[in-house]
Amino acid sequence: MDNHPSRRGFLALAAATGALASLPSFTASAAPVRSTEPLVASRHQLWWQAPADERSMITQGLPVGNGRIGALASNDSGRELLLVTDATLWTGGLNDTLDSDGQFPYGRADFGSLTLLARLAVEIPDHDLGAVSDYRRTLDLGNGVVTASYVRSGVTYRREVFASRPDDVIVLHFSQDGGGRYTGTVTLEGTHGETGTAESFAGSFANGLKYGAAVRAYGSGGSVRVTGSHITFTDCRELTVVLSGGTDYAPDAAAHYRDPSVDPVALARTKVKAAARHSADSLLRTHAADHRALFGQFDLSLGTSTADQRELDTWARLRARADTGDPDPELEAAYAQFGRYLMIAGSRDGLPMGLQGLWLDGNDPDWMGDYHTDINVQMNYWMSDRLGLSQCFDAFTDYCVDQLPAWTDLTQRLFQDSRNRYRNSTGKVAGWTVAYSTNPNGGLGWWWHPTGNAWLCQSLWEHYEFTRSRAHLEKIYPLLKGAVEFWEARLLTTTLDDGREVLIADHDWSPEHGPQDARGNTYSQELVWLLFGNFRTAAAELKRDAGYAGTVGKLRDRLYLPVVSPKTGWLEEWMSPDNLGETTHRHLSPLINLFPGDRIRPDDSTPKDVLAGATALLTARGMDSYGWSNAWRSLCWARLKNAENAYQLVVNNLKPSANGSNGSASNLFDIMDMGGGRGIFQIDANFGTPTAVLEMLLYSRPGHLELLPALPGAWAASGSVTGAGARGGFVVDLRWRDGRPTEARIRSVGGRTTTVAYGGTSRTVTLKPGQSVTLKDFAR
Amino acid sequence: MRSPSTSALPVRGLRTVLVLAMTAAFAAAVPAAQAQTPEQIAAKPYMGWSSWSMQSSKYPGLNDKGDYSYLTEANVLKQTDALASKLKKYGYDYVNIDAGWWMDWNWKQGYDQYGRQKADPARFPSGMKAVADHIHAKGLKAGIYLPAGLEKGAYGDGTTPVWNAEGCTTADIVYPDLRTTNGWDSSYKLDFDKPCAQKYIDSQAQLIAGWGYDFLKLDGVGPGSGKSGDQYDNVADVAAWHKAISATGRPIHLEASWSLDFGHAADWQKYTNGWRIDTDVECYCNTLVSWENSVDDRWDDTPAWTGKAGPGGWNDLDSLDVGNGAMDGLTKAERQSYATLWAVAKSPLFTGDDITKLDDYGVSLLTNREVIAVDQSDNPPARPVTPSDPQQVWAAKNADGTYTVALFNLADSPSAVTADWTALGFTGKASVRDLWNHENLGSHQNKITEALPAHGSRLFTVTPKGSAPAYTGYEAEASGNTLSGNASVAGCDACSGQQKVGNLYQGGKLTFNNVVVDKAGTYLVKVAYVSGDSRPATVAANSGGGTSHKFPSTGDWGTVATVSVPVTLKAGANTISFDSGSGYAPDIDRIDVPKSPR
Repeated sequence: MDNHPSRRGFLALAAATGALASLPSFTASAAPVRSTEPLVASRHQLWWQAPADERSMITQGLPVGNGRIGALASNDSGRELLLVTDATLWTGGLNDTLDSDGQFPYGRADFGSLTLLARLAVEIPDHDLGAVSDYRRTLDLGNGVVTASYVRSGVTYRREVFASRPDDVIVLHFSQDGGGRYTGTVTLEGTHGETGTAESFAGSFANGLKYGAAVRAYGSGGSVRVTGSHITFTDCRELTVVLSGGTDYAPDAAAHYRDPSVDPVALARTKVKAAARHSADSLLRTHAADHRALFGQFDLSLGTSTADQRELDTWARLRARADTGDPDPELEAAYAQFGRYLMIAGSRDGLPMGLQGLWLDGNDPDWMGDYHTDINVQMNYWMSDRLGLSQCFDAFTDYCVDQLPAWTDLTQRLFQDSRNRYRNSTGKVAGWTVAYSTNPNGGLGWWWHPTGNAWLCQSLWEHYEFTRSRAHLEKIYPLLKGAVEFWEARLLTTTLDDGREVLIADHDWSPEHGPQDARGNTYSQELVWLLFGNFRTAAAELKRDAGYAGTVGKLRDRLYLPVVSPKTGWLEEWMSPDNLGETTHRHLSPLINLFPGDRIRPDDSTPKDVLAGATALLTARGMDSYGWSNAWRSLCWARLKNAENAYQLVVNNLKPSANGSNGSASNLFDIMDMGGGRGIFQIDANFGTPTAVLEMLLYSRPGHLELLPALPGAWAASGSVTGAGARGGFVVDLRWRDGRPTEARIRSVGGRTTTVAYGGTSRTVTLKPGQSVTLKDFAR
Repeated sequence: MRSPSTSALPVRGLRTVLVLAMTAAFAAAVPAAQAQTPEQIAAKPYMGWSSWSMQSSKYPGLNDKGDYSYLTEANVLKQTDALASKLKKYGYDYVNIDAGWWMDWNWKQGYDQYGRQKADPARFPSGMKAVADHIHAKGLKAGIYLPAGLEKGAYGDGTTPVWNAEGCTTADIVYPDLRTTNGWDSSYKLDFDKPCAQKYIDSQAQLIAGWGYDFLKLDGVGPGSGKSGDQYDNVADVAAWHKAISATGRPIHLEASWSLDFGHAADWQKYTNGWRIDTDVECYCNTLVSWENSVDDRWDDTPAWTGKAGPGGWNDLDSLDVGNGAMDGLTKAERQSYATLWAVAKSPLFTGDDITKLDDYGVSLLTNREVIAVDQSDNPPARPVTPSDPQQVWAAKNADGTYTVALFNLADSPSAVTADWTALGFTGKASVRDLWNHENLGSHQNKITEALPAHGSRLFTVTPKGSAPAYTGYEAEASGNTLSGNASVAGCDACSGQQKVGNLYQGGKLTFNNVVVDKAGTYLVKVAYVSGDSRPATVAANSGGGTSHKFPSTGDWGTVATVSVPVTLKAGANTISFDSGSGYAPDIDRIDVPKSPR
């Protein structure tokens, strides 16, 4: 990472100097520094004893990605299929004609959808799965490579599939040991009816987006040539196939999110040609070095599994975990590392990950594979700072920054539409907000989500708390300020029964739950409370807008905050003692200040009744929901220091999904049960669950760290975490044994002073950035 | 069993002898002295071709003159020639004409003056004898088809005389109320209390024997064919046919169809040479068959019957339509699994494909001599040694000490399938021969695991080098066990200790307490159980949630079978439970826990 300046670094520099607004997502890459380090298999291996079925790629295909393009690989011995996705390959656009109800259209033509770029098939007829033995495939999380191997007539065949960021290509490498040969075809096809050649195709959408893809194959010992619509390889001892593709998308609202100077298919051809000048081995080493640099920033051990457990492949192991009920600490840690793998594969320089990241199995992903602002995109990025992938967060920040001009425009033009039931009663509008869905073309979809701005800002702010990066703070400041302005124009004054005058949010919907016209919803009150506080801190740290920050601070003090219902005993979700929704609803919106916020804490800072009301609501919500809901519940229980509930919810997400049921697919993708035997992939739980694992080991807020706040019995014997991010600007390495910390190393990445607590005691640590201290001897 | 002298003959030699015998028989019109025992007729599952799959299909071009119109003299002769040239040398020697040979294009029947089926002149202009002659001339055997009972159209107001039966007319062979019978109610039920009824069957038998047929499929037979009750009990019909065939002196293979009642297995064994255990394999759709309708049913429906098959009478799984992928409507993996099950179950191997259009893969499936040998050997049929889960293993212990082992993945996605040697009855090393791929896969310790495609299979011969595992047995009825819900101890003659635990339904649960092992690990627990139909149970150890397994039918509630189930145990004392949940679970006889883990 440090050896070659990343495009991100370049962009940050460009932005700082004002020299350049944005580069297109698909752009010429600098010649990578070639790694000569031999590849050593990492300790982090997931493995399977069967390939994916082509009809079940979303649950069985193995994901690869370079943050821009990704693929699901089938790894079938006789026919390797890759479903290739480019994060920018979106139909739809700004979508700025409201429906008759004042809300946004939400279709694949108007709002748009993420779609597949290409299908790549490598057919090897003689290697039909029915004719090979000892089949095995592996996802090496540490090196970022998928491998498959099998024996055919005494010859061991092996293949690697990986997506290289340095070379900006997806690579398939086929080799063998024992005198074998490969004969077959490579077929590249678009998914939107494009016509092309065997080696490339190009297309464009109604929204003007141009795209293209190219493939190149080269081998040794036999022949590789184009025959009609295929590349044919005959009697090759070894074969390498490289694929690239992209669009002319540019993250620039002023340019309508296009860069007409990009010729995607020409660029794709250039990239595969450049990559094909190198051996597959060199491509792999260079990719793996790039991947390892991020992957190695964090490690996790939750204890030791049994020899019996280790002998099982990943799918059998998931089933055994569920069937026996026995903890499998190494599997549970691997699940968290899989989330990190997906983050590295899915979130680098380009667009952030939406509902499915870079992994689709068709052109009609549920909810368009979009950026959902009422938890899903936020949950995707809860993990990155905590689990040592701070860099991966930047795509999310950049997305918000790049969309802000469009969001501001849409808000100011359309939010006050008289048909919009959420419009401001004040008659005023300022700043920006979003709808429940957003796309990368500036567009909003489905219903207005007035409080969405505050939640996005909460996530962006937390990244600052983890990193203390002033550059980040400057980048997000316009977002914070615009959201604050929106709320300043929106808040209403009301008088409570006790005569107190408070500020409340206007008509809104507590996400996806209950009445759609309620004022003063807890969700909005808590998030605006966080937003105003964070803005005040940001203004102070940047020494900007002192007067306005003061005004905002006073508004914050007047915000209504929820009370406990005397009827239900729960923290109220609406300004009503009544339960206006479903008791076990998937969302935990009223607990947003238990997690991710921390206004509600199990310490003396929080009134006992509020804590009890929050706990009662969380209890009522139950332990059995969708993956992302379980992850959120787990995080809340971790905050309440209920280790066993937090752990059980993590375990629930590891349950093998059967016939579409909630749980993990065999490829560990989280599956959401849509009913009727249909389950769909939603990536948020793959990130939310690892976040919960970490929150059980380390709680942080600026100025305060707590070690092992909710360590479950299953992981208590011994374990360690290194590289865990902590709010306040620290990175923590922690070891424990018999349920107690034995050693904690606190390193400052910008933080100065923090207390470090365990059990009933705490000590204060003061460091300069870059400095670290190691603590031992923790009293219980 | 066949006589030693016969079994010593090579297959080809045996067929030559039979063909010669039949030729001689035919020359003598209806020979009397050459009667053969049923064992000699169906010493092995028969092999050949049947017309029905193509007749029943909507595949373009097959039935241009209306439904089932593929059946013509020209087509039969064409398939005969193709069978002779392509498949005969692998043992396929029956050419079986199925339903409709006496029907016109509108499916209207034709009868002779004695109420016997008469070849339709449009379909078979040369008549049935000429067709049989052609088949025989190719060194093959000829098969024909009839429905059970007196077809309604043959009744002729009851006045139609019965051939060679003085004083008998059709009114004298049926019930006065003209009650119907067979799977379609297309016939009047024969009343065998009346001597004329046997005479009618004799007349049909003499007719087909006279034409030179070597095989008869008697269809619509009950109990079975979707029917039950006295009206549809055709056991007497089958017995009459058995007697009538003997009387002809011609060795005619009698096959009974379809979905024969398991409770009458002894009757089918006594009177026939094979019985269709299931509904038609054909899909009556645009292909010959489809996986879901109803090839895949056979994995569930066969195990009950396994013990009934043997020389003289075989479990007939119906046509083996694997010869042409496009026409069959199956994937390559499905075709291989189809052929694998038929071979290990020792079903007759008769294809319903267009033999003139076999594809390369189809030829490789139909002509794999190692696989055919599994079907045709003297070894017993395989049965499941694991539960009937989506991934399942079938095995048979062969006379020479090797095992025939089939791995099946019935799931819709590729999956690994493992055959544990313990489940076969030995531990340690074994060498593995891959029969489909003609490869030795070397030595495997304790198990073999292979990745199978969706609906895929592997077929191995496993040669053990190890020894038998040691077990600790636990009886279900032991007093230390916990019986919950409706579960109760019941008598069971076939069970060890003559007792089992039954009534495991809707909350009924059996828990073996104090199952002690030395080492933590996964154990392949042998479960001896009784189940008249295929039933699931959740098997769990200790506090785990357990795994639901489907136990194959043992055929009835008096027969015990054994499968092996992996259970993860801790060192020391464990509980193992069998829970019916909200459904119905099998009765449990006992479990045997190996001394060593997997």
